[in-house]
Amino acid sequence: MITKYITAVSTAFSPFNARSGKTVRNFLALLPPNARSKMAIDVKMFGQREAEKPASLSLTFKDGKEMAMDLEKMKLKDIQTEVDRHSRTLRRVEELSG
Amino acid sequence: MPPRPRLEPAQLPRRLYLCHQCRHASLATATTPAPPLEYDSPMLPPIPTHSSTRQSLSHKPPEFRKSQLHRQYQSLLRSSPLILLFQHNNVNATEWSGIRRELASALRKVDEDLAKAGDNAYVGESTKLQIVQTGIFASALKVVEFWKPKFGDISAAPAAGGEAAVPAGSAGAIAHGQAPAEAHGLSEEVWRAVALNKELTHGLEPLLSGPIALLTLPTVSPQHLKAAFSILAPTPKFPAPKRRLNPTYHEKPVQEGLQKLMLLGARVEGKVFDMEGARWVGGIEGGMTGLRSQLVGMLGGMGAQITSTLEAAGKSLYFTVEGRRDMLEEEEKKANAGSDEPAKVESVGSS
Repeated sequence: MITKYITAVSTAFSPFNARSGKTVRNFLALLPPNARSKMAIDVKMFGQREAEKPASLSLTFKDGKEMAMDLEKMKLKDIQTEVDRHSRTLRRVEELSG
Repeated sequence: MPPRPRLEPAQLPRRLYLCHQCRHASLATATTPAPPLEYDSPMLPPIPTHSSTRQSLSHKPPEFRKSQLHRQYQSLLRSSPLILLFQHNNVNATEWSGIRRELASALRKVDEDLAKAGDNAYVGESTKLQIVQTGIFASALKVVEFWKPKFGDISAAPAAGGEAAVPAGSAGAIAHGQAPAEAHGLSEEVWRAVALNKELTHGLEPLLSGPIALLTLPTVSPQHLKAAFSILAPTPKFPAPKRRLNPTYHEKPVQEGLQKLMLLGARVEGKVFDMEGARWVGGIEGGMTGLRSQLVGMLGGMGAQITSTLEAAGKSLYFTVEGRRDMLEEEEKKANAGSDEPAKVESVGSS
């Protein structure tokens, strides 16, 4: 996953919700080690009792685009595809502008 | 030609290629009988089909790292009643060493305070913050949760030992009939009983995904847990140490590493707690002895409460009767005093 063009990550989830918890946690694990200094990461965790609360994941890119992921429909692979698609356009723009 | 230098075994290149037969040579000689004469495939080593000891064979080859890790995790789960689960997202080696150093110093402080009060358990020295292989840990957790062996009871050994653990590739192997072998945590029958049964759940399954690190304490000690929280997952209730008191805690590697650690949940004495529950355990005042004394006080207080409630009816009756008696006595006295005076006056008058 191309993470170079992400500037902010904002999530809220419950680790006890098998579906959305695993997706969000694995997404956070894909961020590079120096991520914390380069992007603003905001993680809000619910407890066991609120496991059914809907989880949210929203990313902001370098060009200002905000992408909110629908965690009910998307799996980790889908999220990666979305991020890569936008990041590749940003990369092309960057390469062209030198 | 110059003489060839003598090589010590330690100097040999580590990744020495061993052919399949050489690698299994020790297994072959240790556990199998002589191969049959009509052995048609000389390239396949004779794979052990039964164990020469009473133990059943391991589900995966015992020389694999994962089998040894499985054993270690089983032992860890059985010996640590308090385990905190964290997710670690690409934490560096320097960050890990900084975090472990801060944690160790905080726990040492708690140990010393407790030792002054007389508790010499030194729990902090056996506390470990370690990364675990999630899949193997999940399997070990299932075995520990759902397989309760009766050690020392040979007659209770499962009867499935005879057909246990015939690895793939031994198409012509015959399962030798034999006495049932004792099951152990790595054996196939335990794996079958535990992993394939989808109805057995222990509550930690949604957490066991992705990179996991464990903080294991050998006893349930709320004071140590409080110190661990203030270092690893500080909140207003468990504040992090101040910069002036603990400057090394606020160094860049430690702070950056801590940002990448996320507290997921806890397993306390076999029960699953989430973050709030874990913090509640850490917030118990006075440790386990304090909790026990609170319980004793409450139970004793309950007994006193019952007796006082039962006595109250009798007491109130007593007081009512006493009060009535006093009133009657006073009235009598007054009546006597009143009747005395006219008698006195008459006697004075008559004399």
